[in-house]
Amino acid sequence: MATLNWRTINVDALDPDSPANFDLSSLTPAVAPASTADVQSLAGQIRQLLRGGDSEGALQGALESAPYGADERGKEIHLATVIEILQSIRQSDMSPILSRIYSSPGGTEALDVLMKYIYKGMSQTQTSSTTRNLTPQATGFSQVHARGGGEGGGQAMSVLLSWHEKLVEIAGPGSIVRVMTDRRTV
Amino acid sequence: MVCQAASDHHWQAPPHYDSRHDGIAGGRPRTTQCAFQRTTTSSRELPGGAFTMSQSLRPYLQCVRSSLTAALSLSNFASQASERHNVPEIEAASSPEVILNPLTVSRNENEKVYIEPSINSVRISIKIKQADEIEHILVHKFTRFLTQRAEAFFILRRKPVKGYDISFLITNFHTEEMLKHKLVDFIIQFMEEVDKEISEMKLFLNARARFVAESFLTPFD
Repeated sequence: MATLNWRTINVDALDPDSPANFDLSSLTPAVAPASTADVQSLAGQIRQLLRGGDSEGALQGALESAPYGADERGKEIHLATVIEILQSIRQSDMSPILSRIYSSPGGTEALDVLMKYIYKGMSQTQTSSTTRNLTPQATGFSQVHARGGGEGGGQAMSVLLSWHEKLVEIAGPGSIVRVMTDRRTV
Repeated sequence: MVCQAASDHHWQAPPHYDSRHDGIAGGRPRTTQCAFQRTTTSSRELPGGAFTMSQSLRPYLQCVRSSLTAALSLSNFASQASERHNVPEIEAASSPEVILNPLTVSRNENEKVYIEPSINSVRISIKIKQADEIEHILVHKFTRFLTQRAEAFFILRRKPVKGYDISFLITNFHTEEMLKHKLVDFIIQFMEEVDKEISEMKLFLNARARFVAESFLTPFD
């Protein structure tokens, strides 16, 4: 006790009425819990649609059934599904598909979910990148490694970036604001 | 060269210094841009590099631009923890309900922008492209040079967020005093210029190294 420096104690954290202890769950709308198995079976159904050539239906289905209540593992599975759909759609088909989804009932919500997945997809590579990025610097002067690693993630990112551009054109900057403010994360 | 001037200074910023206290009054976007351009006077278009860069760079910068425009909707918000204080909530992190979901925009593994919005402040962290060891050193020297002069930049944070090379902190006072679209333009222009600047410095460094090696080895010819 004598060694404890009481000046460094964050007293706000100990006060139940302090804003630091605000109950964030009161800001989150109630979400239905989803198990990883549910997400997995859903991903199977969506892949079936995708294999049948109905990429628009697959995208719409994936966006409408976003598993907000799932755990990290389930969310990752669904993210992988969405990204697979996005990568299977050609650049020229992006805008028509997005405007069709936008004009359908519940379309703005679906596009907000898509925006969440695009940002999540872009933040996803950073976990793997930090470990891979360290190697060329630690070993010294190796241009080959750095270049190869950089372009590996670049291909998937450029797909997401062009989706993002098309999506902002149709859904507007408000969809980005809703990604930032919505406490239901994908 | 910029990097030589930077290496003469050894002063380090305290870890959680927040740049909001750096004289906000009198800050106009023109001032910040002039301050920035003074350090990057010699940026010329590189013949091959600039063309191929702008091709793949455009969607990335467009994405950063729209994300920043959305994130820069700030309002005045006094601290809930202590009376008569007004601190950037993203730095203070004392009230979790006013901090919003962070956004990441990435072009590839080595080029990313991390945007952390809150009710009265936005923190923008940029990871500058570093293809090899030389560029890593150049980026380090360059960002150190800039952060040591953070007073002149108003929105520059003294210390980058972990994992990134340079950070900006924009508060509601900045958006009130400066034009919001000009602030976004400034960040975008910075990202364009810094790549050019680094590759130009690298070319210059290689040219100088070649010249030095040649003149050193002439007596042995």
